[in-house]
Amino acid sequence: MRNNFLEIVRKVDILFIGCAFLLLAPVLTVQRTNDFIIFCIFVLAYNLLYGFMGRLSFGHMLYFGVGAYASALTAEHLSANPFAAIAVALVAGAGTGILLGPITVRTTGACFALINLAFNQVGYFLALIALAKWTGGEDGMAAFFDNIWIFDLGNRYVVFGFSLLCLLLVVYIMKRLTSSSFGILLRTIKENETRAKFLGYNTFRYKLAAFVISTTLSAFAGALSIINYTYVTPSFIDTTRNVEVIFASLIGGSASIYGSLVGGISYMIISNYLPKYIQRWEMFLGVALLLLVFRFRSGLWGYISETVEKYALKGARE
Amino acid sequence: MIDTIAYGLTIGGILYIISIGLSLTFGTMRIVNFAHALVYTVGAYVLVASLSLFNGHFIAASVVAVLAVIPLAYLIERYVIRRLYGESIDYAIIATYAVLLIGVDAIKWIWGAIPIPLSDPVGKAWNILGVELPLYRIIIIALSICVFFILELFFKYTIVGKIVVAGLEDKEAVRSLGIKVDRYFSLVFVIGSCLAALGGVLYAPITTVHPYMGFQVLLLCFAVVLVGGLGSMRGTFLSAFALGMVMAVTGRFWGPAAETMVFVVMAIVLIFKPIEV
Repeated sequence: MRNNFLEIVRKVDILFIGCAFLLLAPVLTVQRTNDFIIFCIFVLAYNLLYGFMGRLSFGHMLYFGVGAYASALTAEHLSANPFAAIAVALVAGAGTGILLGPITVRTTGACFALINLAFNQVGYFLALIALAKWTGGEDGMAAFFDNIWIFDLGNRYVVFGFSLLCLLLVVYIMKRLTSSSFGILLRTIKENETRAKFLGYNTFRYKLAAFVISTTLSAFAGALSIINYTYVTPSFIDTTRNVEVIFASLIGGSASIYGSLVGGISYMIISNYLPKYIQRWEMFLGVALLLLVFRFRSGLWGYISETVEKYALKGARE
Repeated sequence: MIDTIAYGLTIGGILYIISIGLSLTFGTMRIVNFAHALVYTVGAYVLVASLSLFNGHFIAASVVAVLAVIPLAYLIERYVIRRLYGESIDYAIIATYAVLLIGVDAIKWIWGAIPIPLSDPVGKAWNILGVELPLYRIIIIALSICVFFILELFFKYTIVGKIVVAGLEDKEAVRSLGIKVDRYFSLVFVIGSCLAALGGVLYAPITTVHPYMGFQVLLLCFAVVLVGGLGSMRGTFLSAFALGMVMAVTGRFWGPAAETMVFVVMAIVLIFKPIEV
């Protein structure tokens, strides 16, 4: 009975997620919920690599930043149509993934993390100094978009609705991806890549595909955040901000879509409200990370689902 | 020309001194240690604090700075790194990064976030082929070469060094001889941390001392370790000086690109020689 109920909930989970964010909006203000939604998209994109494929990237801000700068530059030079900006950002994200992927995905573990970090540093340098003529360097640049049809981007509610739709779309894509045979293969690579190879799969191709999907979705999140903020600065590609998304995926529980969402929301709540009360906020973040690593590996969502399962088992026994 | 070479060798020497610890930690414990940057920063800050204590006597202050990080290194090893032996490498990265965050915030709490400039402790300059070179930089180069040879002798002729080298090759085999390998590894960790603090001390007068100084250097040191081969002492030595020269030469033509060029070189090396971890 209870299992049936859970299954029905799982089928319409996109509706539930949508409702949850709609409920969050009046509590947190619409502008802030927008941030939350965009960050959740980024965490989802990140988790395709980290949670499902087991590759910890320490430089994912690069792909986020590529999307952000691509859309801002499109608005400045090509067309003020926001959809064109998003399309260019997606292409740029995918292009970066295809360009860097063959180098990065061959490595594992620490090497993968550090090589991404190195590329991120290069990207940060390009945005901050080398291409400062176009990107505006440290001051960044503003991006103005036209209003297309009903998409009046000056209106926060419209931006909110649009971002929410994008998030639901990404959740849907991720659900399809991770439950497909492709997703299962990614998990196999995480568990034991040699065995996957032994079964006859060309794992390089699948890893590259996952990497490119992840970079594209990250760039998507970057583009959305430009539409939300209407300006871009080098902080969108800053290497030191990588810890945010790692923390979010750890806090939520990495190998799960709901976990990513829970993690994204929890991280944003912590980072938005905690600095008001605790001055030594980096220290808190460090202690929380240590606790997560040593005590709660499965994260918040893992903890919740374990507890629910335990009670469900108890109920079944009675 | 000569000052570019001298600058490259100086940077290379400092990078080498800092990278040894990272390389050894990786070789012995299979752990990427972000907390190394914390030790480096603490070394520089203790130097600043003890300089005023010793009325600007640089050598005494730097000895204090190098020794002061021993308890810190021991704590990090005992309570964070030892618990991560044999675990997934991701957790080690995250945990040591967390230690770095905590430490940097503590430094900001104690000393504030304002950069502290230090003056050249030697102050004299040598005239080599018509170019004025600060004596301090020449001392750094000489010191790093000394460290290299001392470590070579240490790993070749002392029993502790031999055990560590054997442990790098095959940990289980050494353990089955009844040797507590982990204890020697933590000794190596402390030595590496002391060298990182020494690097911080030496580099402090060339740049400024600020809480985030570790992040920058750490990235460069990762590049050194990856290019040199993880756990390889001689490889680290060579790649440190090579990348130092890359920085100096790039910096001569276009200053801001110096550090980025190191990562470009690293990427190129990794394309042709991927490391299986």
